[in-house]
Amino acid sequence: MRSMGFLGAASALVLAFGVGANKAHAVGAPAGTVINSTAEVTYTIGSVNTTASSNLVSVTVVEILDVTVAAQTANIAVSPGATTQVARYRVENTGNGPETFRLVLNNAITTDNFDPIAATPAIYLDSGGGAATNGIFDGSDIPYVAGSNDPALPRDTFAIVFVVNDIPATALDSQVGITRLIAESRTGTGVAGTTFAGQGNGLNGAVDAVVGTSGADGEADSNYNVSGVSMSATKTQSVVDNWGGARPVPGARINYSIAVNVTGSGTANNAVFTDNIPANTTYVPGTLALNSVALTDAVDAADDGDFAAAAGPNPARVRVALGPLNTASGTKTITFTVTIN
Amino acid sequence: MFKGSGIPGAAIVACVLSSQAFAQSPGCIVLKTIAEVEQVTVNARGEKSTKLVPAGKVVPGVEVVYTVTANNICKEPAEKVTINNGVPEHMTYVAASAVGPGTDIVFSLDGKTFGTADQLTVQENGATRKARADEYKSIRWVFKDSLAAGAQGFARYRAVLN
Repeated sequence: MRSMGFLGAASALVLAFGVGANKAHAVGAPAGTVINSTAEVTYTIGSVNTTASSNLVSVTVVEILDVTVAAQTANIAVSPGATTQVARYRVENTGNGPETFRLVLNNAITTDNFDPIAATPAIYLDSGGGAATNGIFDGSDIPYVAGSNDPALPRDTFAIVFVVNDIPATALDSQVGITRLIAESRTGTGVAGTTFAGQGNGLNGAVDAVVGTSGADGEADSNYNVSGVSMSATKTQSVVDNWGGARPVPGARINYSIAVNVTGSGTANNAVFTDNIPANTTYVPGTLALNSVALTDAVDAADDGDFAAAAGPNPARVRVALGPLNTASGTKTITFTVTIN
Repeated sequence: MFKGSGIPGAAIVACVLSSQAFAQSPGCIVLKTIAEVEQVTVNARGEKSTKLVPAGKVVPGVEVVYTVTANNICKEPAEKVTINNGVPEHMTYVAASAVGPGTDIVFSLDGKTFGTADQLTVQENGATRKARADEYKSIRWVFKDSLAAGAQGFARYRAVLN
C-alpha cells in the first residue's frame, strides 16, 4: 500500500516537470530576492495537541538576462536619395535585474534590395535614454556612443532608440532596404542557461547572472520601402475659328486638354497642376474644368481650381489642386479654353 | 568582575540555543524542509539522468521541489498529524505536484479555508468558477493514519519561481 503511494507520487512529479519546463514566464521576483519557506506540523499525542515548525529554508533569486527589441516603425516609406530617415525601436529589459545593453546597428542584411546608408551618428537615445522619453526624434536626443552611454535599464523598463539612415539615390521604386538594431546584455550573451558567476546585480549585492531564453540579446528590423512616384501630363489642343473651321486666327478659340497620370507605387501628396495662359491669348472665363466638372475661376472653397490674371512678372495662369495622387486615382483631365488675341 | 560577567553571558547563550531548538521541534515530531531543483546530466553514452540537488540559487521559471519530512522521535504514535506549508512569496504552486504517501491533500486560497481541488472556487465577474492550481496559497497534508514511533512522514510539492 505504501509503495503504491510512492509510485503514484513519482509519476505525478514527472508530469509536473514536463509542463514546467516549457512554460514561458513573465519577470516576477527581482534578482537577489531571498525566498523563505517554513513548514508547520500539528499532531496529538495522548490528548496533547502540539504545533511545531520546521527549519527555515531559503533560496536566492539569481539575475536572469533577457532583452527584447521591437521596431516601432516596421515599415517606412521613403524616396530614393532621401536623407535622415528615422527608424524607431523600443529596447526593453525583460530580465529581473538592472542591466546595461550595448547597441549595434546592422545595415548589411542580405535578404533586402539595398543597404541603407547609416548617418553619422546613426544611433540616438530618445532624450534621457530612459524615463524621459517623448518618442520623437527632435534634436534633443542623445547620440549613442558604444561603451560610453549604453542604456542602463532597471528591470521591466525600456529605452526608445532612434536609428538614422540615408537612402541611396540608386534605390528603385518598390525596393526594400532593411536596417537592424541589436541590443546585447553587457554582462554577457549566449545560449539560455549560460551562467556568469557573481556578475548579476541583486537587491543586496552581487548574485549569479544567467542568460535567459532571449540569449540576452535581441534584434528587430525596420524596412525602408522605396515608393517612387512620377507624374506625367499630356497636353492636347483643338482650335475652333469663328467660321466653324480650325484656323488659328485672331478670335479663334483654343481648347486645351491636359491628362495627368501617376506611375509608381507611391503617392504624390498635395499635387497641384498649374498652366500658364499662352502669350497672345486670353483665358475664356468659366471654362476651367476637371474631369468635365466645371470649376469656378475664384479661389474659393467651392472647388479646387482657380484662374489668376497676369500680375507683374507672373503671366496669367490656371491652377487645379489635385490632392493626393496615386495609381488608384486614375487619369485627371483638366480642360480650359483661350481665345487668340 | 571577570567571573561575574562570564556567568550571565553563558546563561544567555544557553537560553538562545534552547529556544531555537524549541521553536523547531518542541516534542515528538521533528519537521524538516529542504528545497531542491532538478539537475539533468547527460553521461558519455548520451543518456539523460535527473537528480535533485540543493536549491541555493534559482532562476525565474525554474521549479523548486520542496520536501518536508516529519520524524516521530518518541515512543508513542502521533495522531491527527497534519503538515501545513504556504506557497512561498514570488512562487506559484505547480498543478498536481503535491504528493504525500498516506495523506489527503487539501489546498487553500487564503490560508484559512482548506478544500480539495474540486471544492475551491473563486468569484470572478459575478460568476463562480473552480480555482486554478496557480491560485493556491497554502497546502495541507492530512495523514490518514497515525504516525508510528520512529516512522517518517513525507510531503512534497513543487513551486515555480515567478
